[in-house]
Amino acid sequence: MNILEMKNLTKCFGGLTAVGNVDFGVPKGIISGLIGPNGAGKTTIFNLITGVYKVTDGKILFKDNDITNKEPYLISGQGITRTFQNIRLFKKLTVYENVLIACHSNGNYNLLESVLRLPRCRKQEKQLKQKADDLLEIMGLKDRKDLIANNLPYGLQRRLEIARALALNPELLLLDEPAAGMNPDETAQLMTLISDIRPKFDLSVLIIDHHMDLVMGICEKIMVLNFGCKLAEGTPQDIQNNPKVIEAYLGVEG
Amino acid sequence: MSRFLQQLINGLSIGSVYALMAVGYSLVYSIMNFSNFAHGGVIMLGAYFGYYYLTKLGLPFFVAFMASALTTGILAVVIERGAYKPLRERKAPFLYFIISAMGASIFLENIVIATIGPTFKSYPEILSRTPIQLGSVTLGRIDLTMFIISAICLALLVFFIDFTKMGKAIQATSYSVKASALMGINTDLVIIVVFALGGFFAGIAGVLFGMKYTVYPQIGIITNKSFIAAVFGGLGSLPGAVVGSILLGIIETMTSGYLSSNYRDLIAFALLIAVLVIRPSGLMGKVTEDKA
Amino acid sequence: MDLYYIQGILMLAGINLMSVLGLSLLTGFTGMFSFGHAGFMAIGGYTSAMMTVNYGWPFIPALLMGALTAALMSALIGKLTLNLKGDYFCIATLGFGEAIRLVLDNVQYFGGARGWPGIPNYTNFTNVLIINIIAIIILANIIRSRHGRNMIAVREEELASQIVGINVFKYKLISLMISAAYAGVAGGLMAHYMTFLQPKMFSLVKSTELTIIVIFGGLGSISGSVLGALVLTSLPEILRSFSNWRLVIYGLSVIIIMISRPEGLMGGYELTPSSMKKLFTRMRSKKGDLPKGMEGGNTL
Repeated sequence: MNILEMKNLTKCFGGLTAVGNVDFGVPKGIISGLIGPNGAGKTTIFNLITGVYKVTDGKILFKDNDITNKEPYLISGQGITRTFQNIRLFKKLTVYENVLIACHSNGNYNLLESVLRLPRCRKQEKQLKQKADDLLEIMGLKDRKDLIANNLPYGLQRRLEIARALALNPELLLLDEPAAGMNPDETAQLMTLISDIRPKFDLSVLIIDHHMDLVMGICEKIMVLNFGCKLAEGTPQDIQNNPKVIEAYLGVEG
Repeated sequence: MSRFLQQLINGLSIGSVYALMAVGYSLVYSIMNFSNFAHGGVIMLGAYFGYYYLTKLGLPFFVAFMASALTTGILAVVIERGAYKPLRERKAPFLYFIISAMGASIFLENIVIATIGPTFKSYPEILSRTPIQLGSVTLGRIDLTMFIISAICLALLVFFIDFTKMGKAIQATSYSVKASALMGINTDLVIIVVFALGGFFAGIAGVLFGMKYTVYPQIGIITNKSFIAAVFGGLGSLPGAVVGSILLGIIETMTSGYLSSNYRDLIAFALLIAVLVIRPSGLMGKVTEDKA
Repeated sequence: MDLYYIQGILMLAGINLMSVLGLSLLTGFTGMFSFGHAGFMAIGGYTSAMMTVNYGWPFIPALLMGALTAALMSALIGKLTLNLKGDYFCIATLGFGEAIRLVLDNVQYFGGARGWPGIPNYTNFTNVLIINIIAIIILANIIRSRHGRNMIAVREEELASQIVGINVFKYKLISLMISAAYAGVAGGLMAHYMTFLQPKMFSLVKSTELTIIVIFGGLGSISGSVLGALVLTSLPEILRSFSNWRLVIYGLSVIIIMISRPEGLMGGYELTPSSMKKLFTRMRSKKGDLPKGMEGGNTL
């Protein structure tokens, strides 16, 4: 059962085809991977899924609903969230504030209720703040909740971004190069984290990354992208043994 | 028909002066990506310097003219060093520049009011006010002078930008400040030159304006219209600034001539709004993208 | 320096403050700069004056009508301009602000450029004070709620806000409408204080002044806006004899603030009981008694 389906997905920027006729299904309940050389179009696909870019052709289906070209905030409301390659945290706000903001959809009191501080508003605010605290606890960021996000060490910033994404109760989590800039130690920690949160939050996960130990280690299905087109798709074993993939990306023996 | 031609000529004349003012805005925008609202104040001071050089120092016209332009050129650079350079150094967001520019504009306008006083001053009569008759069309001598001087200046500017080394440096920097700096271009110098140029032309425009109308501290507000012309033509594009200015000048005089002069300013702002809503990059302006 | 005179200055400060509070929401918390807010004051002022003078309405309903009209106008403007990039939005607000003034200059029904005298003097110290207090409470409650936090998110990182499920356009629009409503009330208060309205009271200079006050007080701080409005309105009044130089110093100070302390007086912090407590604890334990990493602002 696929939670996300891309059918014939195409994106052109003027004369350049960044993504060309890609068909790919992201299975529900597992961790999948999206790999390929730099410039292959991986982040573009993320941007298309989340509505940041408009598709030139093709469709994107989430739980069988067509979400192609919907507004990003609506797609997020449907249950897809993501992190960014170049960490887009609310840098000048604190760790706590970053997560608390993201918890907003867990409440539905309106503007009038907030102005009058009606009981429903106050009750929901309490719940939101509790949820933010719980998330920080689970992600191991509770003791730093009042630090300014920009002052966190790099690895923790990435973790915070994931925490923020989880605040939206997503069903599909897109991680764009979560291990970028990490050493093997940190990468191992990240692998454990992702493997832990997947069942805990009942997620499906799609990861873009260049760290092959991470990708091959925790992904059950992988798609390889090259020059915007799908090169191969399968289990880590299949991909590692695929001659086309080896030639384009993983490296041929001397 | 002759009325139409008359309005057209009037429009061209005021449009050419707007063009002199508008290139200042576009030059700065093309390099630094913000709208230099202090420009109006510099134009206003150009008119005042011209008046001063002509009356108090009794300089001959051409000398006074050049002197004003040089003074405003220097003034513009001083403003850049004082109000913008510190912001550039701490990589402030562009909006801080606009605020600073507004501050400079308020400062300039009011220091004139506080020192010289708000009374209107008139330029001495340099050109005879009798118009030239060209068939059924009358051509004011001042209007003709404005047009000719503006045309010469703009031609010189085009020559400078397209054919000199510094001009090419300006073009390069307007594409990317960082890349130009990495290529060895002294971007600080480029910025100084750009402001000096803008200021120089502002001075000329100010003197011309003072010649045609009168001199008062709020001239800076009129020059808001040249800013509109720059937006219309496309902020960051020099040809756009010129085209936009000429068109605005013509549209304004047509409105003033055929409808009523009350609507003249309103039409300018209506045009601004229309441009921003329909096509913010104007006729020929830069368009920038944001990578996710 | 009698009580009456001081009251007058405070009332003027209070009227400015109303506008500034609204602008603070738009600029300080949602991150959008407007150079046309005097236009919304004008709409509110003229509308409320029309209600009291021509239709005999009582004061408060007239003020509310002014606020409503300003808010609706802002919705229209917002629909057209909120999708523009930062500096183009700035220019658009400038354009609209001036356009509103120019239209009023030409509409003879409202007195045109000559002005509209004879507006009843309903504004007094008490109602300015009460209205401001209510306005501050409303603003503070909005900021404390998830809606306020969403606006702050829009200010910080628009793209990330989208991804986090925030309808950026909707929040920008709400912010704009509320700020316009506040300005509308301010305009109405002004009309019934001066008993006279003239379009040039609502020019670009006024809009710029309002933005300068918000920045002076510090973006993202309600208490900053309050202090800013009080200081920047009263100071020039007290220095009346230097009235010519008032704006000169104004202009110069703007440049100096932007260069040296753009975060303004309060630097984004609020003057609340809890933040004062934090300040004292930090001052008392200079030797590092506090656990590592107890930093952070109190904007939420």
